[in-house]
Amino acid sequence: MSQVAESSHAPTSTGIDHKKLIMWLFLASDCMFFGTLISTHLLYRKLYPTGFTDAEGHQRFIQNLFNIELTSFSTFILLMSSFLMALAVSAMHKGQIKSFRRNVLGVIFFGLIFLGCQVYEFTHFLHQGLTIQNSVFGSTFYVLTGTHGTHVAIGILWLILLYFYSFTGKLVGHMGALDVEVAGLYWHFVDIVWIIIFTAVYLVEYLGPTGFWGTGLPLTK
Amino acid sequence: MSHDTHHAPVASKLELAPERSDLGLIRPDRSTGWADWLTTVDHKKIGIMYGAFAMLFFLVGGVEALAIRTQLARPDNDFVTARMYNQLFTMHGTTMIFLGVMPLSAAFFNFLVPLQIGARDVAFPRLNAFSLWTFVAGALVLNSSWLFEFGHLSGWFNNFDWYKSLVYTDFAPANGWFSYAPLSGTFGQANAALQAPRFTGVGTDFWIIGLQILGVASLAASFNFICTIINMRAKGMTMMRLPVFTWMTLVTSILIILAFPAITVALIELMFDRQFGANFFNPSAGGQPILWQHLFWIFGHPEVYILVLPAMGIVSEVLPTFSGKSLFGYPIIVFSGAVIGFLGFAVWSHHMFTTGLGAVPTAAFALLTMAIAVPTGVKIFNWLGTLWGGRIRFTPPMVLSLGFIWMFMCGGFSGVMHSAAPADAQQQDSYFVIAHFHYVLLGGVLLGLMSGLYFWFPKIFGRMPNAPIAYIASGLVILGFNLAFGPMHYLGLAGQPRRTHTYHEGNGWETWNYVATIGAFILGIGIFLAFANLVWTAFKGKKCSPDPWDGRTLEWSLPSPVPEYNFARSPIIATRDAYNEDKYGEKKIGYENDGGEAGIHMPSQSWMPLVAGFGFLMIGIGMPLIAMGVPHAGWVVISGLSVMFLGILLWALEGPGGYMLKTPTSSSPAPVTANTSSY
Repeated sequence: MSQVAESSHAPTSTGIDHKKLIMWLFLASDCMFFGTLISTHLLYRKLYPTGFTDAEGHQRFIQNLFNIELTSFSTFILLMSSFLMALAVSAMHKGQIKSFRRNVLGVIFFGLIFLGCQVYEFTHFLHQGLTIQNSVFGSTFYVLTGTHGTHVAIGILWLILLYFYSFTGKLVGHMGALDVEVAGLYWHFVDIVWIIIFTAVYLVEYLGPTGFWGTGLPLTK
Repeated sequence: MSHDTHHAPVASKLELAPERSDLGLIRPDRSTGWADWLTTVDHKKIGIMYGAFAMLFFLVGGVEALAIRTQLARPDNDFVTARMYNQLFTMHGTTMIFLGVMPLSAAFFNFLVPLQIGARDVAFPRLNAFSLWTFVAGALVLNSSWLFEFGHLSGWFNNFDWYKSLVYTDFAPANGWFSYAPLSGTFGQANAALQAPRFTGVGTDFWIIGLQILGVASLAASFNFICTIINMRAKGMTMMRLPVFTWMTLVTSILIILAFPAITVALIELMFDRQFGANFFNPSAGGQPILWQHLFWIFGHPEVYILVLPAMGIVSEVLPTFSGKSLFGYPIIVFSGAVIGFLGFAVWSHHMFTTGLGAVPTAAFALLTMAIAVPTGVKIFNWLGTLWGGRIRFTPPMVLSLGFIWMFMCGGFSGVMHSAAPADAQQQDSYFVIAHFHYVLLGGVLLGLMSGLYFWFPKIFGRMPNAPIAYIASGLVILGFNLAFGPMHYLGLAGQPRRTHTYHEGNGWETWNYVATIGAFILGIGIFLAFANLVWTAFKGKKCSPDPWDGRTLEWSLPSPVPEYNFARSPIIATRDAYNEDKYGEKKIGYENDGGEAGIHMPSQSWMPLVAGFGFLMIGIGMPLIAMGVPHAGWVVISGLSVMFLGILLWALEGPGGYMLKTPTSSSPAPVTANTSSY
């Protein structure tokens, strides 16, 4: 039994499980990763505050492009998925495998809704004339939010695998709860990063009378 | 469960029937020979393989360096073309840094860290194997560019349509090791195939994906080592009792996990520019090439300390051993190492003084750069303090470590000269800079690493390197090195530019270039001799005792070669330099009552890290093939991603497995009570 093998390891020096510690280290590294991407976006936003030029050569404002209601909805969904993830982890710690499965299915479902919104948003923006090739804004926006979307997709894949793994009967005890908790750490992190992206990329465009960068449309049209 | 670890403890893994994983696949646990090496999860074997690959690539990078020096020996020389020269210096720098120094440091991390902290393995043994094979994949991707270049020069591709449509045909990377945009990027508008015109050939694409893969390897290894050092220390091994080498491993690993994301993102952005027509660094579409410089050096400057801190750790172990004294000012040495790592993140723009940052940032970065000299100087003085009044033994590792101090100081002095921005404006892009960083990286880091090789080789293989050859090799290296790089200070100040394939007669550069080339060949012979001596030692060297140097740290308390379980009984540590204290004073090492007939748990071996690494190799070859326009190349990348995913999935599902191994009890002293308070 693999549990026997693992529990025979000596207790760790700090009392923190290896898996949990290494996930925290990975997240520290990922902070720098997203920090660099977000900085790139903000630097170019400050340098070229007026938005972008679409395929027909028209100057476009970011506020006209964004659909802030839709993005707020998907942000809310992602936040709620984090809530369900916390419930799934808590269920595992109590050994309630059925409750874990219910909640983790919820996380997967909400995650997929978020990704669906992002796919819709990308196609919508593409029709509006924003491509990765026609402007610096397009490059930084698609690569930044796309990288985040990739993180969400990897998280969903991970949780789907954990969901099916739970039916083998091996996802039990302390080690099982630890595996779920580590996946939960990753999921919460991806969620927190989205809150920062939502603020720094979307919300600031609506700040003040003409957006944070000072060149958007007046909010009272 | 499909496999069990309930079987009785055995004296050798070969006594057991083949183990099946949770998936029902037979695990390579009982393998011997090459399959054992390919599937091993033993940190010592992984360390040896890291070292072997690193030494191989040192020689590759060395041959590239000698080609460069041959070209520059005479004015208006045509030994290589300008195109080939660009590829040579780019691959020389990239190879030495990412395939030579970093993996050789990783070899020491792997072999030594668990032994020095009293652990039986690293925290994640299979992840450790994954780091090794991913590094090998990245190294093969980078160097496979030479095969394409060779095919191009030999005319193999002449009949292919994709080859005829190539604008630029430099197949090996040719932008310098920092691949500055916009040269490495694109210009103009992207076409229907989402590609914008480029300044360079597919060599840059090899460079991008190769470095990306090497980054994965370094990050995985660093997560593992931080986890190991923080979490797997023996009882009583508090942080301030850790050997300095282990401390420097920790600082280096932290630098890697915080610095590598910057270049990961930079490489992703450059890849999007080149392969998908994005505009991150495309000046015609508003992209700012200067952003590349910032992102690169935010990684690149900490990288300098990633290279040098392990060597400083090695020297901090060698000097006390051969001075017969404990390290002078241990806490200050540790603290200085951490401060160097911290400040390393705040000085990147000193590589960019001539780009016009403005007066305030330039002054700030100049001051911070000068500030780094303080903790570095503190270390130098502590090493001198260690030597002072000691009973010095001039063994080969000691000679190399003393060489390190001397050469590294020379490099440090010219470094302080660079930190003065007005002076740097004169020195930028000249041979003075070449002289500076070779004094730091070769005279410093390489001498330190060679010192480590000669110091720990008897522990790794239980055989002693030939001393006379070692002295001759060390002498040749130090002499040749100074002959090669000393004159470059003068050449740089006399105006010779970097990265230029030749120079005309009459600039006054002829003599010293000729001298530098002679020095480079002496250096090459010296390094080859030093490495050949080590390879010979590994197989045929004279057997030696487990503690031939009168060592101070825990690894010397073990038999040579070190058994697969490391410690028959886990040690309990009561002081710093416990093994030395234990030998000459009161008993400072106790042993836990584990192991023996009850056995200790050994992890199972696995093919999966190798499979995942192979997936990376396919991705790495596939991406440049796409850039070349080779038909169906996308499938290579997709298959590579699938192989990688499959490897990781099976790895997760096969379970850790493992078996119980008996350890000898007779030689272990009875457990004693030691001071284990305060972790």
